[in-house]
Amino acid sequence: MRDRVCVLGAGSSKYGKLNESIIEIALGASKDAIDSSGITPKDIQAGYVSNVFGVADKQVHMAPVILSNLGIPYVPGLTIESACGSGSVMFREAYANIAAGFYDCVLAVGAEKITHTGTTQSTTLFSYCSDFFFEGGNGASFPGLFASIARAYMTSYKANEEDLAAVAVKNHENGILNPKAHVRKKITIDDVLKSPVVASPLKLYDCCPFSDGASAVIMCNEQFAKKSGRPYVEVIGSGRGASPAAVQAREDITTIPSTVAAANQAYKMANITPKDIDFAEVHDCFTIAEIIDIEDLGFFPKGTAVNAVRTGATRRNGEIPINPSGGLKSKGHPIGATGIGQVVEVFEQFTGKAGEREIKDAQLALTHNFGATGASSAVHIFRKVE
Amino acid sequence: MSGIEVKQRKPTVSAREKFVQAASSGKVLANKCLRCGNVVLETIYYCEKCFGNEFESVEFQGSGRTVTYTIQAVAPEGFEDAESYAWVVFKVDNAPFRLSGFLSGITSSKDLPIGTRVKVAGFHPKHGLILQKI
Repeated sequence: MRDRVCVLGAGSSKYGKLNESIIEIALGASKDAIDSSGITPKDIQAGYVSNVFGVADKQVHMAPVILSNLGIPYVPGLTIESACGSGSVMFREAYANIAAGFYDCVLAVGAEKITHTGTTQSTTLFSYCSDFFFEGGNGASFPGLFASIARAYMTSYKANEEDLAAVAVKNHENGILNPKAHVRKKITIDDVLKSPVVASPLKLYDCCPFSDGASAVIMCNEQFAKKSGRPYVEVIGSGRGASPAAVQAREDITTIPSTVAAANQAYKMANITPKDIDFAEVHDCFTIAEIIDIEDLGFFPKGTAVNAVRTGATRRNGEIPINPSGGLKSKGHPIGATGIGQVVEVFEQFTGKAGEREIKDAQLALTHNFGATGASSAVHIFRKVE
Repeated sequence: MSGIEVKQRKPTVSAREKFVQAASSGKVLANKCLRCGNVVLETIYYCEKCFGNEFESVEFQGSGRTVTYTIQAVAPEGFEDAESYAWVVFKVDNAPFRLSGFLSGITSSKDLPIGTRVKVAGFHPKHGLILQKI
């Protein structure tokens, strides 16, 4: 690799049920990212877009449409789909192209619009992200797939439904402080346990919401970032991993191999260990996912994450704050945008824009985002630049 | 008649179609790699161990033990007509793999302790691989 890669600007729409078209949502986030970085569109040499269900809002081949409406129709674009992990996988491609020296500065924007289709249609569309022949086609929804993972975890380790609920309570506590979050509502363990069962053992409050939204970042090489005179964040580690697409094909259902592989690559590249990370944004599409993530990322030994959550180790003032943004659970999960939304949170944390959510004295942060039940993952590590 | 002989092409049966045909009679179709002996599901095109693609067909009785499952309280589209059901992952007897399918009539975890024996009972055009408790 030739160049160090930095994040120079970030912007996000509110996550939730939005009325604008997917293109308008994406353009709004892109404009915010461009303005926050101090560049103009003429500095952008390529555009990367992540999206999954554009067809539901009558727009695929989204990159050229977004770039045209930003006034740069002759800038090459690429639209990337990797289910719920689209944003981080796209970020990795943008990273690789800057690191390789192809571009000095690019726009990376993730966008999704799904809520207008209604819960039944959204559930069906999401099920197409599974290994449909064995999963969606046999009656498993995404909550169902993660519920089967939760049951396997609860059978193997000392964990119960209250432990899962504690993840939701903690993430909602954080999300209340995030003005862009979809569900800004304090909840209790009891609220989670009494919420309707979606797919046992998971209940409504164990599940992230269906969200619309877009998040964007401006990425550039170090020379470009320094020259700008603006605050920036450096990407010091990047990893990609894969797992068998179907849950049935996983040797151990309580771990996600793609997370482990991506994290190991990212730690190695950054030359750090999990202990060095000051906070992490992880893929908590369901409460069980966060439990498994923080073990697979090396923050806690296998089978012990529930103790960590119980004792507050993952709260904002804990040993390793997890999802200070509110995570997918409270901030929301516009699936094409989620991976970039995590980078936006890191940028805001490291540039003094996180307000009450700020993790004091944080220097290193990690983002982790996966597609489907973890068939594809990406992990990135960021350093605050003083 | 033009005198040109027209050969009727045999319809190609895809791997998934073969899997479904076997499942329809309660069996699980797999392939044994001729190079290394590894056994993979019929639906997988190359051996996962040695990447060979010459196989001998192997049929397993579709029975096994439940590894994990969920009971779908909110059924996805296409399954609204199903009574309370579970999506089940089970270890296939005498095979080195697991499989997943649709098991009707499950309303609570008491109906399906982990380890419960199940078997393939067919393949439904709308509900996929159908399981039954043994």
